[in-house]
Amino acid sequence: MRRLALIFSLIAAPLWAQVQGVELDDPVALPDFHLENDRGETFDRDTLTGHWTLVMFGFLSCPDVCPFTLGNLEAAVTETSMRVRPDNVPQVVFVSVDPARDAETVSDYARYFHPDFKGFTGARDQIDTLIQATDSFYRLMKPDASGYYEVQHSASVSVIAPDGTLRAKLQPPFDPGATAEFLARLQIAYRRSLNQ
Amino acid sequence: MTRFLAFILTLVMPLTASAGDLSVTVAVVPLAPPGVMAHAAYFNLTNDGAETRRLIGVRAEGYAMAHLHRSEEMADVATMTAVDAIDIAPGQSIVFKPGGLHVMLMHPAAMQAEGDTVLLTLKFANGETLPVQVPVTRLRHGS
Repeated sequence: MRRLALIFSLIAAPLWAQVQGVELDDPVALPDFHLENDRGETFDRDTLTGHWTLVMFGFLSCPDVCPFTLGNLEAAVTETSMRVRPDNVPQVVFVSVDPARDAETVSDYARYFHPDFKGFTGARDQIDTLIQATDSFYRLMKPDASGYYEVQHSASVSVIAPDGTLRAKLQPPFDPGATAEFLARLQIAYRRSLNQ
Repeated sequence: MTRFLAFILTLVMPLTASAGDLSVTVAVVPLAPPGVMAHAAYFNLTNDGAETRRLIGVRAEGYAMAHLHRSEEMADVATMTAVDAIDIAPGQSIVFKPGGLHVMLMHPAAMQAEGDTVLLTLKFANGETLPVQVPVTRLRHGS
């Protein structure tokens, strides 16, 4: 029995490691929202239509998780571009939940990871609208003596289809190859659902 | 010129540092994106001695503060907590890596460029310190 369990764990462990995303049972329509950046660009419900979008929430002074996730998303999108048509390569959007500190540099920050990545932030109620609609989370922590504060935020990335509906969540560790495979399969399932 | 010298130094110096039984390898400060107040340093810290050693802090030249930190993900929420001390048993290696233990570098005096180095000084409970020159490198992600 123990040997069976060992064999099972050997088979299951690599499969489990491949789980990079969860497809929602039903697509979720997103409400109106309005975010903007220092380049005068806007991000709202209308800008979601016609292409795939990956939305990550975070803050610029996040030393560890945010740069690592965006770096992995850059690699994942590059991998995805080898699997899907050019117009199906997802647009990556970084949304800062910390507009007080990040409004001036949020688009530079996103473009550091890839020239096509976009960064946005905005009014608190608009951020909260998108956070709630994507079942995401953040919390600004108490400032320390220097005034610096940390931000807790969702680790997962929202996947929004060309019809503007939330379809899936990508999950850490965002292995580029496995994430690209998940996105390519999700797109096939999406096209099938449109043809039914 | 300083940058050139630093670059030459990174070529001639092995990317390791050691003090007695403690050694640091594969140290890196990923090049920070623009506009950030905090970024991170990573490395492996190995204890080849016969006694457990306790890492209790870190100093970083050119930064207002540096802390030992641990990122954790609980129920899909990314959080960070300060770490007061890390015990390294004889023969053990502690791995600082993205998504886990890291040195949080706060309030840089100036932004680094690729090829610069950051001087970290690791502080241990027995009063010993271990200086490490950590190269600033643009990280490449991939499968």
